[in-house]
Amino acid sequence: MMRVDTDVADDVAVLQPQGRLTMVTAPELRQLVAETVRSGRVRVVVDLSATEFLDSSGLGALIAGLKTARQAGGDLRIAGLGPQVATVLQLTNLDRVLRPYGSVAEALSAR
Amino acid sequence: VTANGSVIDLRDRPADDDSRVRALEDLGVLDTGPEERFDRITRLAQHLFGVASASVNLLDRDQQYIKSSHGASLSHGPRAEAICDLTIRGSETLVIEDVAADERFASSSFVTGPPHVRFYAGHPLEAPGGHRIGTLCVTDDRPRPFGPREQALLRELAGWVQNELTQSAELEQAAEVQRRLLPRRSPQIPGYTVAGACLPSRGVGGDFLDWYCSPDDELTVTLGDVMGKGIAAAIIMATVRAALRSTAGSPGPGAAVTEAAATLQEDLEETGTLVTLCHARLSPGSGTLRYTDAGHGLILLLRADGTVRRPTGGGLPLGISDEERWPEGRVVMDPGDLVVAFSDGLLDVFDGTLAALDRVIEVVGGCRSAQEAVDRLTALARGTRLLDDDVTVLAIRRSE
Repeated sequence: MMRVDTDVADDVAVLQPQGRLTMVTAPELRQLVAETVRSGRVRVVVDLSATEFLDSSGLGALIAGLKTARQAGGDLRIAGLGPQVATVLQLTNLDRVLRPYGSVAEALSAR
Repeated sequence: VTANGSVIDLRDRPADDDSRVRALEDLGVLDTGPEERFDRITRLAQHLFGVASASVNLLDRDQQYIKSSHGASLSHGPRAEAICDLTIRGSETLVIEDVAADERFASSSFVTGPPHVRFYAGHPLEAPGGHRIGTLCVTDDRPRPFGPREQALLRELAGWVQNELTQSAELEQAAEVQRRLLPRRSPQIPGYTVAGACLPSRGVGGDFLDWYCSPDDELTVTLGDVMGKGIAAAIIMATVRAALRSTAGSPGPGAAVTEAAATLQEDLEETGTLVTLCHARLSPGSGTLRYTDAGHGLILLLRADGTVRRPTGGGLPLGISDEERWPEGRVVMDPGDLVVAFSDGLLDVFDGTLAALDRVIEVVGGCRSAQEAVDRLTALARGTRLLDDDVTVLAIRRSE
């Protein structure tokens, strides 16, 4: 289940995966980011505030999304991490690549 | 009590639904589309019972997915409205000979509108751990009786679906090959005990564990975790293991991981896979342990005096960037010191956060050998009803 908000700006999409972001749901996110970027919304924020659990496949989808967005001249940012998601990101040192933001608004306003 | 008199198990509360959903996900059939092995069963069931449709349904937290159906067209829908949701609450066949006369479903849209379901019979499907994750059901657009003989047949067919869901000869062979890739016996190093274990959450997994002694008596150990689960992860795991094995000639673990990562980068990128691992070399004489962490982060040094240290600040997982250089850390193991490394599956046995580390420290505290530490941690993982993820543990202890 994925909520998509495209009202923020013409080149922005906010994606909010609900529940568990695992090998079952990760391909959906991966595909959605690819479609979003292709449609010209190259600044993608993944709002993880409704994501209860993230596994390595979920991480893989975020990294793949980041690559896709950067290749199109945009960016992918993540916001609103819960404790489990934050732990996974910290352990893998991927917070160096995917810097977490407190909220969607912060992710959008940061340079 | 259901329409055919079986009692619904009220102990099967939604509180347990999370592990049920995980059991379903672990079967790896939600994301694989239609499959002939299920289609042939629904085809057969539809003909055998002469009903409008037969289907294999999977129920996750909120949705009912049609894995396979034959006959009148059916579509995915909210779980809350599905009769199959009622079926998986019990362990028996659920029969509703006239759905329109059943007040629970009489006003449902699938009764009042297309496909005008008037008859329903469904049998629950169980995952290996016993969770009821879906149904085989037959429906018709007119009421009909469904006697003990027909119920027995439906049960038989449901058993067949269940076998297809949980068994695959090829998977078993793959699991056997993977078991053979794990170290068979602990290395014999005077003054140390070394032990490890790998518990895949399914038949095969993406975790791996490796160790070998080089001619100069140095011990090299690796614990790795390939993104994903099942057979796809297992194939990559074997590749990563081979790449790391070929770095025995490199000067240290940091250089070894950097070299292996360069070899693997293209393959990992192509398959969109990440690999986290820790790789270390121990010089038994001095007790010096040189280690490198590639986004794994789960190594603990428990000193004989009770202090605990968790090395941090390693590099990225493999498969992210071809420019990464992995730094090397160093600790000296004194007599009585214990080093434990484990995969993040063990964190999920607790709450999935770093708070779980304290529990791990508690559990392995006071261990007299590496094997004892590994045994205690694997007992913990085995104690959970259902492994979410592979759990792999490695321990090295310097004897007093």
